[in-house]
Amino acid sequence: MEAAWGSTEGDEDLTATQVAEPVTTGHVFEQVYKPWKGTLNPRWMRNWAILRHHLLGIFKKGHRPWGMPTRLFILIVFIASLSDAALTLLSGLIGDGSLHQLWGISRDNLYGHVLGFFPRNVLYYPIVAALLVGSVISEDRQHGTSALYFSRPITRFDYVGMKFVSVALIQSFVVLLTLALYYFAEIIALGRGWAWIMDTFPLFLAAFLSGMVLIFTYTSIGLALSSVSKGKFFPGIGLLSIVLGTKVLAILVSTLFDREILYLLSPYDCMAHVGQTIIGTQPTYDQYSWTWSLASLVAMNAIALYTLSARVSSMEVTRE
Amino acid sequence: MVDELIIKTTDLTKSYGPHVALDKLNLAVKKGATGLLGPNGAGKSTFLKTILGLIQATEGEGTVLGHDIRTEGDAIRARIGYMPEYDALNPDMDAIHQVRYSGELLGMNPTVALARAHESLQYVGIGEQRYRNIGSFSTGMKQATKLACALIHDPELIIADEPSNGLDATAREYMIQTLTTTVQAGDRSVLMASHLMDDVERVCENIVLLHKGKLAAQGAISDLKAIDREIEIHVWGGATKLAQAMEADGLKVRREGRVMRIAHDGEDTTTRILTCAAQTGAQVRRMHEYEASLEDLFLVIMENLGYEVKTSEDLLASPALARKVDAPAHMGGGGA
Repeated sequence: MEAAWGSTEGDEDLTATQVAEPVTTGHVFEQVYKPWKGTLNPRWMRNWAILRHHLLGIFKKGHRPWGMPTRLFILIVFIASLSDAALTLLSGLIGDGSLHQLWGISRDNLYGHVLGFFPRNVLYYPIVAALLVGSVISEDRQHGTSALYFSRPITRFDYVGMKFVSVALIQSFVVLLTLALYYFAEIIALGRGWAWIMDTFPLFLAAFLSGMVLIFTYTSIGLALSSVSKGKFFPGIGLLSIVLGTKVLAILVSTLFDREILYLLSPYDCMAHVGQTIIGTQPTYDQYSWTWSLASLVAMNAIALYTLSARVSSMEVTRE
Repeated sequence: MVDELIIKTTDLTKSYGPHVALDKLNLAVKKGATGLLGPNGAGKSTFLKTILGLIQATEGEGTVLGHDIRTEGDAIRARIGYMPEYDALNPDMDAIHQVRYSGELLGMNPTVALARAHESLQYVGIGEQRYRNIGSFSTGMKQATKLACALIHDPELIIADEPSNGLDATAREYMIQTLTTTVQAGDRSVLMASHLMDDVERVCENIVLLHKGKLAAQGAISDLKAIDREIEIHVWGGATKLAQAMEADGLKVRREGRVMRIAHDGEDTTTRILTCAAQTGAQVRRMHEYEASLEDLFLVIMENLGYEVKTSEDLLASPALARKVDAPAHMGGGGA
């Protein structure tokens, strides 16, 4: 059979050939470009979008997809953190003074709600922080979604600032909202008057401030770890290692070398030391000045924020 | 097309220590579609980051849509749509909410952003799949979703970085068609960085060719193609003899099987070809002015620079070879 036109080198004998007609196919979809004549809102609206995306993602679909274990754990911790509020309500309902003495509002109980080691700063708050910070910046490196932010009029400061506030606010639901509910539970359950409120409100504010320091520290360390990673496990595990591992290390140093560094090395103990001073509870690090712990805490946060800022500054829009 | 400049740079220079990424770049990009070409390390990414206002130029100045790239980065990024080369989507989100979020990040309110997200996804052909998780999308669908993110606020300039990279034939065709429609029906401008010459040629009427941070060539593709005019003939029988006869007659012949391209050599080139064909008995079944492809143009530019590359792929895929090449002086380069 004669070779088709175009299939040889052109040096064949001059004989006729036939070629098949090309077949074209069509498609139904009609593509129409629709212009948009709206105006874009200013900076605060863009920042609100980032905040909203992260916050609402905890509650509903269509926003940042937090994992189900994270959402479930936050719910469990939120409920568990209300245990003191619930027992205060119960003591008011049944009129049991001993129960109230154990769980009612007091200097120690306010401290315990925010900075108590077990279970809150072992099982609740650090794990919530670890789950939250795990992927909040690292996922933008992993999926390249940093380009989505930085190719738009979002500054690095706005980006990291809104992520920080988002994570801090979610932790606030668990730490500070439950603290406020605990305080109001006492007022409602026991019918506290203005005199009691005037007496105890400074304590509540001191505990609230301690809670803010706790959230700030966990968030800054956690986000710094998230910014140096592309995965979600390293930042989470890293945060827990820093919070709990430094405590273990300080105990080892104390046991082996008889030298106390817990109040300097462990972020939790630094916060607890400062928190005890702010709230005015019996200090458990009383042989050392709380200012050393405060200085250490400031240094830890400064290092974390520097790392965070340096890493976010280096995030690329063209490739990561 | 209105002869209006959307990007203009004057002596734009960006250095990273001793390394000069952009070297006194003088560009004037008109409204419409422009291809941004250049081998790896030519400075394309640095150029894009500079015009987006994300990095500060070391020297020189420039404007994008009338905004200063040094001081008005935010205003520029609000008016352009950037489609990155690499993945820039959260695989755990569905397409509609991802596109809506990209609109919210520009300052659109959520309701408006959602309405526009539907329109944008419909436009790029993801309308029926918009509630599916992006993680389950094919490469083509992801590219289309990225384009929808870039188009949500109807930007005046779309910067598409390798928009058809890694796509199969159907998806590639659709992407090219979408970009073309955006330029022609939408009256928007596109700056398309790509190493696929065919795609650039189909979408763009202008090109900018960068090399080693310098401008190697810029202008309308049709004008640049006029550098290398040829006549193409399709021969049946006696092709080798014909080629030899034409070469003996002093004509410059490029042959690929039965197809030959003969360089214009005066007004009588056609007559000389036909005379040779008559002498050798070869049938010339088709004869026409050969319209050079962008690939040919690229090769001509590189040949003018004194480098032998068989295809653009050779050069674009080989930074080592690319580093040896410099632009000729008449095309804006250093002429090394």
